[in-house]
Amino acid sequence: MENTLLKKNTAFWIITILVLFVLSIILGIIMRLNQGAIIRLSPVTFYTDMTTHGLTMIGIWFVAGMAGINFIMERYVKTSYWANLLALIFTIAGIVMLWVSTLVGNFHAGWTFLYPLPFKIMWSQWATPMFLFSLTTLGVGWLIWCLSLVTALLKKYSIPQVFAWQHFKKNPQLETPPFVLISMISLVGIITCLIAAVVLLILLFSEYYSNGTFVNDALLMKNLTYFFGHTIANEMLYLGLAILYELFSEISGQAKWKTTWYVALAWNFTLIFILTAFFHHLYMDFVQPEGFQLIGQIASYSASLPAAGVTVFSVIVAVYRKKVNWSLANLLFFIGVVGWVIGGIGAVIDATISNNFILHNTLWVPAHFHTYNALGNVLFSLAFFYWFSKHYTNSNSKDRFSTLKLLFIVVGGIGFLLAFYIGGADSIPRRYSDYPEAFTSAKALAAFGAAFATVYLIGILILFINISNRCLRILFSRS
Amino acid sequence: MFKNFIFPFLIFVFAGISIAQTQTPNWSEETNIYDKVYDASLQLISGENISLHQLAEKKPLIIALIFTRCTGVCSPLLFQLMESLQHTPSDKNNPYSVLVVSFDTLDSLKDMELMARRIELQKNKDWQFAITDNISQLNASVGFNPIWDDNIQQFDHDALLVGVNSDGYIAKKLIGLRNEKEIGLLISSINNVFSPTYRLPNPNILFSCFNYDPRTGKNTPGLGLLFIALPAVVSFSLVFGIRFLVKRKTV
Repeated sequence: MENTLLKKNTAFWIITILVLFVLSIILGIIMRLNQGAIIRLSPVTFYTDMTTHGLTMIGIWFVAGMAGINFIMERYVKTSYWANLLALIFTIAGIVMLWVSTLVGNFHAGWTFLYPLPFKIMWSQWATPMFLFSLTTLGVGWLIWCLSLVTALLKKYSIPQVFAWQHFKKNPQLETPPFVLISMISLVGIITCLIAAVVLLILLFSEYYSNGTFVNDALLMKNLTYFFGHTIANEMLYLGLAILYELFSEISGQAKWKTTWYVALAWNFTLIFILTAFFHHLYMDFVQPEGFQLIGQIASYSASLPAAGVTVFSVIVAVYRKKVNWSLANLLFFIGVVGWVIGGIGAVIDATISNNFILHNTLWVPAHFHTYNALGNVLFSLAFFYWFSKHYTNSNSKDRFSTLKLLFIVVGGIGFLLAFYIGGADSIPRRYSDYPEAFTSAKALAAFGAAFATVYLIGILILFINISNRCLRILFSRS
Repeated sequence: MFKNFIFPFLIFVFAGISIAQTQTPNWSEETNIYDKVYDASLQLISGENISLHQLAEKKPLIIALIFTRCTGVCSPLLFQLMESLQHTPSDKNNPYSVLVVSFDTLDSLKDMELMARRIELQKNKDWQFAITDNISQLNASVGFNPIWDDNIQQFDHDALLVGVNSDGYIAKKLIGLRNEKEIGLLISSINNVFSPTYRLPNPNILFSCFNYDPRTGKNTPGLGLLFIALPAVVSFSLVFGIRFLVKRKTV
């Protein structure tokens, strides 16, 4: 556990993620300011920012979860330091290539880079291959990392054990820790969606270098894009939950959470259904058979409700009329669960076919995914960062301004998200760089959102300074 | 178990899908879609001279290319069209005109008038009969290639209907004698009403999720569907493979 190299790597991950997070928030605020007509950006700059912001956020919060579970997994199995380091190097290289392709090459096809947009060159010619190579670099590094962690788990646990199937019987002889179960479930899902990304990239490269002799099927490409994009966005949240299952009780000074039959069942359900929930992104695609659309709706409910149910139940049981040693870390976990549930409800509303006809491509979409990210997954990872930095610098001092930091993050986050939700309910479209006058409330809501996002940023900046200072000490310590 | 049941089953499924994949539809119906039709100058049997784009501007057009000496498919094509259009009359919401153009340079305006009278359409305001001096350009712009056969003294040609919207763009083509439903879709297309039945064609698309057959109007599963299932299959195989390898190593 006390692996110095892994500790230093984790500290480096944390600093890198926080720096990129702050920069990406700033890009987000700039976009909302432009939509609010407070500043003036060209549409190209707006969409370049949007592409950079979206992909960077997905990337960093995925690796944040991965860095967290890699570090904690050392409690149960021996993990590969080299795979972790390789992923770090590939992530930095991939992000640099991505930022060069967008900010220098002006590539602006959005983070979903939906086919055939990458080939409709409206930017420097080299930016498309650079963008695709950046994704390849990220994907290769992450796939190797995931496979190494799965291998580490499978060295110790058999397949029925790692998926906690023995818990379906009475009095199981061996207990699979919830952390191991959720990590394995998430890693298998991540490997699956990364393989979808590999297939997608091979097809994109094939068309790009075929000089028109090979053309892709738009329906296949959209399916693969969301198989990758939707699944990774959800799985990274589950990585955060695996950390919560391990650390929440520990930080709160309570007994460790145990795997029960319903926890095992819920997470096994999640594994199966999360892989088909992405079909809900294709409700508007008439060529997709109706059966797939129905699977999309059923899987969206089945993937989210069991996992959310058992997690919320576990957290409520842990805090209701129980002595809890509250600190910033478990408060962030607790608020993160609330944000995840609210965002999840917003997502399930949108994933219901009859509602999607109204909410599709409105601001409701960024509303729900920003809720379970900015006030959910991000808080899970920040809780881990905070715990890690305090724990390994032996910093016993009580943090000043804890309440203030939380207040900034929560109030800023709620205000920022509210602007999205109200806009979505008012049918204001997403991904517009400038709003026409017909959308009367759009500009005001965007400005309101930008103001509250700035408050959120202030909270994050204070936390960033505290955590980074401590992580730098870990990074440069001799022990 | 694997050798006797699963493997033959997988072979059967893959072979079935591969066969479905290789049955490529007739693409000629899909060529020239969204191209502008040639703006031929027309002489109508009413005596009016007008360009094709001007005529289309008044009402979207269904162009039928025939010749009056035809002993083959021309008359059945026109009769079938007349019958189908009885159920979908041209009105405010669904306006269209049928333009019957001769592609035979020997046909005169009188020949076309006789033809219109023979099928009792000469006074129908939704039907126009015309000849043009620009027939080769018009044929080329819609992908129509009639070939003269000296032995039978007839043109070998498709029974072609071309739908042109009011901006002069080819919105849909139908080859052969088609049913009422397909004629209805043609009318929707030329009125820019969304018709969810076909996709933009490209013979270089190898991995389609579904293959649309314009002859039957049906979609059949394609190889692309396997690509959607592939990541899950590979991922679970990897998990079982890794466990098998690490277990063997520790034993």
